[in-house]
Amino acid sequence: MNRLLILLLSLMSIATAASAQIPYQRIAGADGDPSSWLTYSGNYQAQRFSALTQISRQNVTQLKPAWVYQMRNSGIVETTPIVADGVMYITEPPSTVTALDVRTGRPLWTYTPNIPNDVIIIGSPPVNRGVAVLDDLVFIGTVHTHLIALDRRSGAVRWDTVVDDNKNGYYMTLAPLAIDGKIIIGISGAETGIRGFIDAYDAKTGKRAWRTYTVPAPGEPGSETWKGESWKNGGGSTWVTGAFDPALNLIYWGTGNPGPDWNGDERPGDNLYTCALLALDAKDGKIKWHFQFTPHDVHDWDATEIPVLFDAALNGRTRKLVAMANRNAFYYVLDRENGQFLSATQYVKQTWADGIDEKGRPKVKPGTEPSIEGTLVYPDITGGANWFSPSYSPQTKLFYHAAREVGTMYYKGEADYKPGTAFTGGGGRRMDGDVSYGAVRAWEATTGKLKWEFKLLTPPMAGLLSTAGGLVFGGAEEGNFFALDAENGKPIWDLQLGGAIRSNPMSFAVDGKQYVAIAAGSALFVFGL
Amino acid sequence: MFVPILIAALAFSQSPTDVQKGKQLFEGLCSRCHGFDGTGGEGPNLNRPMLTRAQDDESLRAIIRDGIPDRGMPRVRRTTDNEQRQLIAYVRSLGRAAPATAAGDRQKGSAVYQRSGCSSCHIIDGQGGVVGPDLSTIGVQRGPGYLRQALLDPAAALPRGVQVIPSRNLDEFLPLRVVTREGRQVSGARVNEDTFTIQLRDANGQLLSFRKADLREINKEFGKSLMPAYKDRLQAAEVDDLVAYLSSLGGAK
Repeated sequence: MNRLLILLLSLMSIATAASAQIPYQRIAGADGDPSSWLTYSGNYQAQRFSALTQISRQNVTQLKPAWVYQMRNSGIVETTPIVADGVMYITEPPSTVTALDVRTGRPLWTYTPNIPNDVIIIGSPPVNRGVAVLDDLVFIGTVHTHLIALDRRSGAVRWDTVVDDNKNGYYMTLAPLAIDGKIIIGISGAETGIRGFIDAYDAKTGKRAWRTYTVPAPGEPGSETWKGESWKNGGGSTWVTGAFDPALNLIYWGTGNPGPDWNGDERPGDNLYTCALLALDAKDGKIKWHFQFTPHDVHDWDATEIPVLFDAALNGRTRKLVAMANRNAFYYVLDRENGQFLSATQYVKQTWADGIDEKGRPKVKPGTEPSIEGTLVYPDITGGANWFSPSYSPQTKLFYHAAREVGTMYYKGEADYKPGTAFTGGGGRRMDGDVSYGAVRAWEATTGKLKWEFKLLTPPMAGLLSTAGGLVFGGAEEGNFFALDAENGKPIWDLQLGGAIRSNPMSFAVDGKQYVAIAAGSALFVFGL
Repeated sequence: MFVPILIAALAFSQSPTDVQKGKQLFEGLCSRCHGFDGTGGEGPNLNRPMLTRAQDDESLRAIIRDGIPDRGMPRVRRTTDNEQRQLIAYVRSLGRAAPATAAGDRQKGSAVYQRSGCSSCHIIDGQGGVVGPDLSTIGVQRGPGYLRQALLDPAAALPRGVQVIPSRNLDEFLPLRVVTREGRQVSGARVNEDTFTIQLRDANGQLLSFRKADLREINKEFGKSLMPAYKDRLQAAEVDDLVAYLSSLGGAK
């Protein structure tokens, strides 16, 4: 039955290959096309779930490498491949796009933009998390802050748009999000005192359709949460690809820390819309609603984790929900139509809040701010979660999460704004070692109630994939790629890949065979039965 | 010839306030490894007139700014130019203070090392065993206080940052006691570990590797060390001499 389904789906893929098109409708219908992987998180709901069933808890022990692709540059590989019509599109650090034959891993074309030697990348390693595809184009956001459209067949540049000025510290690491006729992109740079935004560009021309700042200007709603000129360098990076609800026509996108990160003296107030989730009207970028997780953040707890969309019965009626396992140690469930706060559940050790009140606001403990001599607070500076993806299975209704159990000694320092230089006001020393650890956890998506956990030796920086084969795939900092039973978290299979895993797994099928892909070290590994 | 030197001196002129502010920063960011007042600890002592890796202020600034990641010194946090200047002022003031006089005699310390059997587990300049850390450059890695404690009560702080692997600041040479599924008991020091496997070296230097799923028990003996405590085995003067000897290892020759 499953084999037949995969065969049919593969035949469908071959049929679409003839037209060599990936229209918006096909991405919106990604759940019905599990042989492909058409967007960063697998579908617009950002669930990172594969409906393929061939690799299952019964046979995953027979998983073996199908091929391996070695990156041409060294550096951390955080890419999630996109697969469509026999081709895999990956990014290599820092901003190279490569198309691979999905059957063999042989390169078909590669494109590297001219990145100046003095490119400013403050706030992360020089990484890239992947491309977006739409129609006959592939899109990449680069570290020198260009959004570039390439021809899917040849890698030729179709258009190249400068999103903002890298000299002021703006740069990009995220995979763009392709929706109907538009490419949505966010920005990094809050560690250099940028003013963050989310942009939309016309997919055919590269012309900007709209820009929504994550920090309001004087007179705009929310500007009362900033003092004086502080909004100008208010931060609010939009690091990580958001989610999209085509029916509501709303884009869900997280925002990062206010600037300077660890010294909030010059920016008293809540500092909207930093450390928040924004729901933007896809038509014009207007903020339909916002929810701020960490008002006046001083620990760098970006809300740039993946917002996951799902519908579920709650108190007797079906609701459209959005959930985020936030860097600040709490898992939030909101109504995605109006942003109403529904629940928050602590999912890792934290020492900064006496819980979350009924409106969703944290009850911050005194004495938890960074200090010159150092203040020990949990979770750590990288958070209980970070950019890497959780997974939601519509089958088990569980939210799968790779959690970091570690604290940080937080320091406050001077902050001196000079364009294109660090504007952080402190930092932290992670209290890692044998006292810290990681865990893959599964909890009920609607309630946050823990179902199981599988401990990892150290805090991870790698995401998860759940599959209809009853599996959860994940990666460890020490290089272990593994499959757990999605029902109970029992480890079924693992393999040492020889380099830290700092990427997200994905799955696809070709010629009737299912594969799972993950980057580790400086290579991309593809496994099949 | 004199003019540039004068300019350089002016550029780095350091006020008492800088030293005070630098001390405050140092206590937050640096003292955990370099000790209060820079007397050393898990990291080397800085209260010496010449710092091998930071002979001029620009190289000291680079170390404060970037750390020495391959030698286990992290960049604890980003610092502004001004904060770097204050830290430099304070670190240089440490070197101008009276140097910490080593109580012991390093020649005698070398003899203590030889006769106490240290080399059965440790290597210095290519000679010795592999059960414990290589000590060939230990004098530039650790402060005298840390070395003294490591001799008297080695279990109080297991070494970190000696080996490249395991990274992530895990305790190195952690004593392990594992029991296999068949009931065989094995003890040794952890060499490496991941979520699914663990490697250890036993007292004979034999490497043992296990999948965790094949073990009935894994006991990580935190608070213990495979090295005996020398508190009651050496005279106070012998400890001083041995610390003086170890502190001299790896310095400029």
